[in-house]
Amino acid sequence: MTRTSLRAALIALGIGLVAVLAAGCGASEDAPKGAKKMAFKLTDAGCEPSAAKAPAGPINFEVENAGTSKVTEMEVLDGETVLGEKENLTEGLSGSFALTLEQGEYTIYCPGGDNERGTLTVSGKLDSKDSPEVEAAIAQYREYLKKNTDELVAKTTPFVAAVVAGNIAEAKALYPAARVPYERIEPVAESFGDLDPRIDARENDVPPSKFEGFHRIEKALWAENTAKGMAPVAEQLLADVKELQGKVKNVNLQAVQIANGANELLGEVSASKIEGAQVAFEAVEPLLVKSDPKLAKEIEASFKQVYASLDPYRDGAGFVSYEELTQADTRKLAREIDTLAEQLSQVPAQIVGG
Amino acid sequence: MSPLTRRRLLASAGVGAAGIGLGASGYLVGRDTAEADEGTGSVPFYGEHQAGIDTPAQDRLHFAAFDLVDGSRTDLQEMLREWSRAAAEMTAGELIGDVNNERLAPPDDTGETVGLLPSRLTVTIGFGPGLFEHQSLGLAGQRPAALRTIPSLPADELDAAQSGGDICVQACSDDPQVAFHAIRNLARIGRGTVAMRWSQLGFGRTASTSRSQETPRNLMGFKDGTANIRAEDLEAMRRHVWLGAGDGPAWMRGGSYMVTRRIRMLLEVWDRSALSDQEETIGRAKYSGAPLGESEEFDPIDLEAEKNGKPAIPVDSHVRLASASVNDGERILRRGYSFTDGVDPRLGELDAGLFFICFQRDPEKQFVAIQRRLGANDALNEYIKHVGSAVFAVPPGARQGGYVGETLLG
Repeated sequence: MTRTSLRAALIALGIGLVAVLAAGCGASEDAPKGAKKMAFKLTDAGCEPSAAKAPAGPINFEVENAGTSKVTEMEVLDGETVLGEKENLTEGLSGSFALTLEQGEYTIYCPGGDNERGTLTVSGKLDSKDSPEVEAAIAQYREYLKKNTDELVAKTTPFVAAVVAGNIAEAKALYPAARVPYERIEPVAESFGDLDPRIDARENDVPPSKFEGFHRIEKALWAENTAKGMAPVAEQLLADVKELQGKVKNVNLQAVQIANGANELLGEVSASKIEGAQVAFEAVEPLLVKSDPKLAKEIEASFKQVYASLDPYRDGAGFVSYEELTQADTRKLAREIDTLAEQLSQVPAQIVGG
Repeated sequence: MSPLTRRRLLASAGVGAAGIGLGASGYLVGRDTAEADEGTGSVPFYGEHQAGIDTPAQDRLHFAAFDLVDGSRTDLQEMLREWSRAAAEMTAGELIGDVNNERLAPPDDTGETVGLLPSRLTVTIGFGPGLFEHQSLGLAGQRPAALRTIPSLPADELDAAQSGGDICVQACSDDPQVAFHAIRNLARIGRGTVAMRWSQLGFGRTASTSRSQETPRNLMGFKDGTANIRAEDLEAMRRHVWLGAGDGPAWMRGGSYMVTRRIRMLLEVWDRSALSDQEETIGRAKYSGAPLGESEEFDPIDLEAEKNGKPAIPVDSHVRLASASVNDGERILRRGYSFTDGVDPRLGELDAGLFFICFQRDPEKQFVAIQRRLGANDALNEYIKHVGSAVFAVPPGARQGGYVGETLLG
């Protein structure tokens, strides 16, 4: 079976867009503008107050050791996850930390006190208005989604027609071009329940009765050398990609999701996925430049390096098949992709609150 | 010169006596006592059940699968008799065989455990479905209905060279060299009758099988086996692990079925996923091991719990899909090990993961049913692939002077 995309057969690794933020949106030393100030004292008893209420949004926790040697820190936890803390506050010292909290019950934890655990109840809606930079990032990526789902429908339509007509040679020729736009935006497609498995599941990913979409047809064309019985599968595929096209128009995006998607695309070495990751990265890059310009530069350099390494394998509009690569080739590519993905994985935490 | 023994060598070297519980009568202390001396004790080979199933999981593994190459039923009987004798000697900390000090003869024992303690070695022998298909053995009629090659499961990427086998030996010990020595010497004894098909070293246990053990972490950094069956829970062992009267052929009574899976973890990808992703994939907090939404490791898994209007333990998380309550109450005794076999030659990434071993009364109803659910829906599938698979009927233990497999071949 040949594929024009360059795969290092790392198996399809879509991680899904479930990875949005936990309730807390990251701690920082500087209080964001408009943050609510909350004062806490460390005493022998623990945190004072031990029960507090706050509206959803940014909060600056100002902690002061009011003369206890038993307690020297305060943490805010969501379940067992520490969202923010100030440590090493010995007698007389004070300090602060900032958190943006959603509605919910949080634990205030002052270890060593007579009563270590208190509660912070946050109510109301988080003001989710994004900064202009974040809005620009989302708008830019939304445009890319639209462009690619439009292209997906445009390229899948003639492919499906060829399959329905039983024209194997033509269907084989049209297959790669239809795959490319899908691969670029796969992390977003995966956020729509069973749409991604319907379009893109591999044979062993799903029960045999649910094996459909691109890879079912691919198996028929290449492994079985027939299009028999594939007409309904192809027609369903076209309906599914059209459904995807409609859904991305209204998808609710967050900058962190886009950044996560860039990393997720690199579980597999394929040129279209690398391009998808690059566009996703570029959308959020202005947010990253503010917090970590060095990382932004490194990522740019790594993308360049990966493209340079892919160059020798270009073959017309596509790439040579994976089978033509030597072990040295695949190892070099995998190494560079791993380096790039490791850097990209640092981005979401950096752009939170941007 | 008096016969050379590991024990004697130890005593003369002035080590070993401390903490092994050497009684005046010798080294053979009861299993319970021996287990208290983790790392140094010896676990008896003979008993109602084979050791290495309800034995508190040792730290190291060497596992080997063999194919029958030739030989009659008598040859197989003879090999199993010799294996059992050697296993009993090794688990007791003795050198195997009689000829170890003959200048012109190669020693029976290969010798790398001289000076080492028994280290709780257990040797567990099992029979794969293929064994029953060898005409020369005439065993076709005795294959248990429950012993069938594991069917193809969702997300499988099996390599035949790391799957299957007619006979297996699981050697577990707290000392890796002791485990290796067991496999090496049994392979040597079996030469001509069996040939090694594949083998696997495991460097760290990933499950607790006793309440006396801390839950270890697997290579993903998560505690593994928190909800495992504990050997002390005799009712659960009887219900899920040991074969009783009416469980297939009489020769398997007191035995169990073992399933092994070589599970490669895509650690490079896992390592760069966010903590929240990792925890939602597993369904537990990474450091405490608590089910999401709870605070302590052994808090019950509450599948109904909600957080912000969504299930606290995600619907595709590993603990939810593996939990007994979504699997018709079915459980398995897990006894796996972390492994690494160097570098994946194609990608230059770590070839590492979990060598999964489990014991049960019925593989189809237990392992296969659970894995079918996991393979189809588990969020963890993004980070793992099953590359090896095997199933074995593990017969009951041998009585003193008998051998493992005697109930089948005797």
